Amino acid sequence: MSRTLRLSMHYLLAIALVLLVWAATSWLLEATRGREILPTPWVTFAAAAANFGTLASAFGSSALRFLIALAVAFLLGLPLGLAVGFESKLDRYLSPLIYLLYPMPPVALLLFLYLAFGLGEVVRLVVVVMALFFQVVVAAQGAAKYVVPSHVTAVRSAGATRGQIYRHVVLPATLPSVLTAARVSVGLGITMLYIAETKLGLLLGPRAGLGRFIEYYTFRGDISLAGVVGLALLGLLFYAVLELLERFFCRWKFVGARGGA
Amino acid sequence: MIEVDGLTLIYGRGGAAVPAVAGLSMKVDSYELVSVVGPSGCGKTTLLFALDGLLAPTAGRIRVHGEEVGSVRRDVALILQDAGLLPWKTVRANAELSLRIQGRKSSAGKVLADLGLAGFEKRFPSELSEGMKRRVGIARALALQPRVMLMDEPTANLDSITREHIQNLILGLWWEMGFTGVLVTHDMEEAVFLGKRILVLSARPARVVEVIDNPGMGEPGYRGTSEFVAQVAHLRQVLGGNGS
Repeated sequence: MSRTLRLSMHYLLAIALVLLVWAATSWLLEATRGREILPTPWVTFAAAAANFGTLASAFGSSALRFLIALAVAFLLGLPLGLAVGFESKLDRYLSPLIYLLYPMPPVALLLFLYLAFGLGEVVRLVVVVMALFFQVVVAAQGAAKYVVPSHVTAVRSAGATRGQIYRHVVLPATLPSVLTAARVSVGLGITMLYIAETKLGLLLGPRAGLGRFIEYYTFRGDISLAGVVGLALLGLLFYAVLELLERFFCRWKFVGARGGA
Repeated sequence: MIEVDGLTLIYGRGGAAVPAVAGLSMKVDSYELVSVVGPSGCGKTTLLFALDGLLAPTAGRIRVHGEEVGSVRRDVALILQDAGLLPWKTVRANAELSLRIQGRKSSAGKVLADLGLAGFEKRFPSELSEGMKRRVGIARALALQPRVMLMDEPTANLDSITREHIQNLILGLWWEMGFTGVLVTHDMEEAVFLGKRILVLSARPARVVEVIDNPGMGEPGYRGTSEFVAQVAHLRQVLGGNGS
């Protein structure tokens, strides 16, 4: 069986299992509480189909927002993390600052972010970028610290400039760790996206993002739950995209004696 | 020709300063292959890095072909211990790495084929045997068509058959290309097999304590001669006397 087919089978099995647990929970809650608490999968899917246009728009808005935030977090966080990890002087001065800011949840700063950026699109992006940025910085810093010295010597002995050392050694050496960290951070990023879209999108309609969609249909459990499923699928989509990126850019990790399955 | 005059290399500053090389002088004639041996941690690799221009001397001077070494030179190639291959680059990209860094357009295809690596160009280092990895490391150096070849324990951690293959390969390339070579090793048989002269270094900080002439080096079947065995025994005695 090909690897892709086997992987697809695993995903299908996982989805079937989730649906089964979901349906069982719905029945159990309804049986014990005497009324519908959690809509069943088919009720939810029927609601999703009935509101497909709005749901698809919300999904598209959230996906675009998350994509932009992820790209910005990478563009800003990767160079900073690599430099701090690789340059011992920067490490000495900037690491304490990073470790101080890293655990600070952006959600605790919502009021200040709102005051600083208003209620526009920028503030929603800033919240998600802040959450992902530090994940990328810390992962890149950690990986760049442990670049194999002989790899650096190999390019230095050919007369490499600082830029060439980063291009040929530091970036490719750290990319697998950074992409893994980004994949792990998708869950956190989606949570922050939901908060940004609900708390900082009060004036928007349900098409403005999945968070707003869920909030807008609070009193229609079936439609609201369709939005939650949308968020889960959004996370899965980005998780899969990041895994594909890793397989494409870090092909060397998946071959030879140390390669994967 | 390589001339080293009163070379001193000190790592760190103040109280943490560690002298690695102290007032070392040596000379390698053009087209000569010289082995450098010494006790573990005596500063052999440090010396090699200084010859390559990777480390600036604290005192003294290094000249290659009459020019003072201030930085890495394009006509000097360094073969690292364990080959120093980048795992994320294919065999071809690894072999052409130094060429590309120096902005040269030439290919390493012929060198790879000459070293028996044709057909492996698209493989990654993790797909190669240890012996093949070392050959890729040698290909990377040869692709530069260097006049000076610096080798840092090129056969360390290899099994004995592969080690002999690589040693024969280096000897053959030296005959064929006529480069000036410095080979750092702690394998006494390798030092005798590949060194027209053998420089014995002291414990750290390194300085040359003895130079052993080895006129039989390069002769066909040298490894099996009694002269070879006697030279290895002599070298062992000299090193033993220097606290290795």
